[in-house]
Amino acid sequence: MLNAPLTPPVFHILIALADGERHGYAIMQDVAAQTNDALQLGPGTLYGCIKRMLTAGLIEESDERADPEMEARRPKGPLSAAKNDERRRYYRMTPLGRRVVRAEAERLAHAVTTARSRRLLAEGKA
Amino acid sequence: MTNLLTRIYRLMLLTYPREFRFAYGREMERLFHDQYRDAARRRNVAGFMMRTAADTVATSLRERFDGARGLISTARKAAPRGYVTEWIVTILVYLFATTTLVQAYVIPTGSMESTLRVGDHMLVDRTAYANPGALGRYIMPYRDVARGDIVCILYPENTRQTFVKRVIGLPGDRIHLHNKQVIRNGRALIEPYTQHVDPGIDPYRDDFPLEPRAFTSGRGQDMFEHHVANGEVVVPPDALFVMGDNRDNSSDSRYWGFVPRSYVVGKPLFVYWSYDATTEDLESWSVHHLVDVAEHFLTRTRWNRMFLVAH
Repeated sequence: MLNAPLTPPVFHILIALADGERHGYAIMQDVAAQTNDALQLGPGTLYGCIKRMLTAGLIEESDERADPEMEARRPKGPLSAAKNDERRRYYRMTPLGRRVVRAEAERLAHAVTTARSRRLLAEGKA
Repeated sequence: MTNLLTRIYRLMLLTYPREFRFAYGREMERLFHDQYRDAARRRNVAGFMMRTAADTVATSLRERFDGARGLISTARKAAPRGYVTEWIVTILVYLFATTTLVQAYVIPTGSMESTLRVGDHMLVDRTAYANPGALGRYIMPYRDVARGDIVCILYPENTRQTFVKRVIGLPGDRIHLHNKQVIRNGRALIEPYTQHVDPGIDPYRDDFPLEPRAFTSGRGQDMFEHHVANGEVVVPPDALFVMGDNRDNSSDSRYWGFVPRSYVVGKPLFVYWSYDATTEDLESWSVHHLVDVAEHFLTRTRWNRMFLVAH
């Protein structure tokens, strides 16, 4: 089923989850950082992908909790805490997801090697 | 500002299929919030809203029409669509929507006051209660009129006027009022949305249908003569009993009888603009009113009512 290339959002989301579980906003930030802000996932794109990746078994939900880092950055005021429930849903990669993203990365690496061998890329530049 | 944009985003979320919204709506709203904060820090809120709107249009269409795809690149998906295409789609959808799906409507009187105010400009969803047909059933979230819904109806006494009222009785319901309290099928309704401005008791209005009156309305008389049993009004088939939330000052089914089901125009969606004006100004166009709006647009627009969803 997954021999065809992954869509860029799905590929980058999987890479974002390589080091461990993250919530939606952290995934989006990581994807932006990976791609030098070229890929900025909107809420619809991100959660559409998440839904499909959950269905395909590439990722799973871990749990729901507040992000201590975000909590600390949030301005304290009358609007915080009670009204603004800060629990976030976290996602993590499944073993299947890890296999899929590795296969995809290898496919891309192979493509890069080929491109380099045909002198389309400068040496050492990926 | 944050509040207003959050409300706009909540409306955008309504374009997604219901299950998707239930599963991810809260998380998406949160992500929107976080991204908005980042955009505000970079002073790029306008660009951020444009991107979010384009993302919403594209992804909500995708969630509705090809939910299964999207994990794997295909040739079709490989060509990225630019801003121009996204906005052409947005504008086409918008034009279609404003001509056939929704209708703008102004609240001219205070009969729904406490929920809707004089000068609230609303969009009415014309398809909400329409006959869906075979295909429409799968695309649109149709449902039938329910008790407690706010509906936009044709005024039975003069179908050129449109009223907004709340549905109190469906066909078969038995309704009467005792001391301003509505009792439906033997149970007192809890109605937090109503307001009473007159401490006095008008037996016709507040103990309805206790005391028939010399009617000016043939439809009201018909209701009293044929649809009252044991001191209660019984709603006939294919009709609705409606009342305004401003109970002591509302022209409604108590006075002019039932509303035929086919007179329901649609469901008010949200207030897109609220302007502090008088009933006379709102009921007819006048140069005076236009000048007034031009002069006082900023001060007399009730900004806090913008994008409120009536319920």
